[in-house]
Amino acid sequence: MRWRTDRRLRLAAVLCTAAALAGGLVAASVLGAREGSAPVSAAAPEPEPSLFAGIEQRGTALGSPAAPVTLVEYADLQCPYCAQWARDALPTLVDDYVRAGKLRIVFHGLAFIGPDSNKALRTAVAAGRKNHLWDVVHGLYVSQGAENTGWVNDTLVRDIAGGVPGLEPDELLSTRWEKTIDPELERFAAAAKAAGVNGTPAFQVGPTGGRLERVEVASLGPEGIVPAIDAALAR
Amino acid sequence: MTERSVRIASAVLASLGAAISAYILYVRETNGSLVCSTGGCETVQSSSYAELLGLPVAALGLAGFVVLLVAALTRGELARLVNATVALAAFLFAAYLLAVQLVVLDAICQWCVATDVLTTALAALALVRLGPASSGRWAP
Repeated sequence: MRWRTDRRLRLAAVLCTAAALAGGLVAASVLGAREGSAPVSAAAPEPEPSLFAGIEQRGTALGSPAAPVTLVEYADLQCPYCAQWARDALPTLVDDYVRAGKLRIVFHGLAFIGPDSNKALRTAVAAGRKNHLWDVVHGLYVSQGAENTGWVNDTLVRDIAGGVPGLEPDELLSTRWEKTIDPELERFAAAAKAAGVNGTPAFQVGPTGGRLERVEVASLGPEGIVPAIDAALAR
Repeated sequence: MTERSVRIASAVLASLGAAISAYILYVRETNGSLVCSTGGCETVQSSSYAELLGLPVAALGLAGFVVLLVAALTRGELARLVNATVALAAFLFAAYLLAVQLVVLDAICQWCVATDVLTTALAALALVRLGPASSGRWAP
């Protein structure tokens, strides 16, 4: 019977050591995940597609192509200041200028903060293929999580896309990884470089189809950008 | 099942696991995109759970599979014990990571699931190798 006892002891020793090893790994993983982040979004706040209801979206542009003034926004979808600008300034611009046909806003996305920036931007560009980029961009801003914690997860994308008529969540999730998205991202990066953008959010304002000028905003509320738009409209 | 066949099967599975881990690690280090039919690979790999103590979990997986491969290719009691200990620890940690994918991240990475399946099979083989049927070193 000695072999049975030996075997049991051996098995118990192996099981205890394995459990201790696995327990250590799990504890390190849980602590690391807590340190690194806010919780991953399980239920995204309701996006606000109604902000753009009735406004023409085409590719990366919001508003009528005939609007006399164009505002280009350079932004990283993980950038908290960009999200603040989208919450504080954008609704006023949309209601007072875009709906009135005076302003067209073009989104140029950058992805320098990390992997979630890339995922978010690719998702937005994929939505732009269906002329819903702005719905997705705004949905991502209002649901923005801590940097690079995996917050741009499939559940969030499904939640946002599910609230936008005309967007199919599954199609969006697969389209965003297509190679055909890459040239668009390269175009954004080239435009940002040409405009001398070295931080976000950054803006250019000018006549539609004409020369755009960089605008340094003093605040992230509407008062930071409205004077430049008014000046362009007055020209 | 003879110990030899258990060791051969373990070596094959550990090699497959090491190859998958190396692929995930390579894609991560080169900022590429994983081939993914489940749609959740990027979510899982860019989450905070993809790193452990500052190291990619894929690197830990690669090291674990290499240890299991060496243990499978080595005869003797020590190799059996190391094999069983590492395989069972890997199985438990893989179960935790699978739960994270399903419950926390709500995203499934096919490559991670593949390594989970391999880890489960390796743990089962390690227990068989540890048992009396294949060790051949016990006496009544």
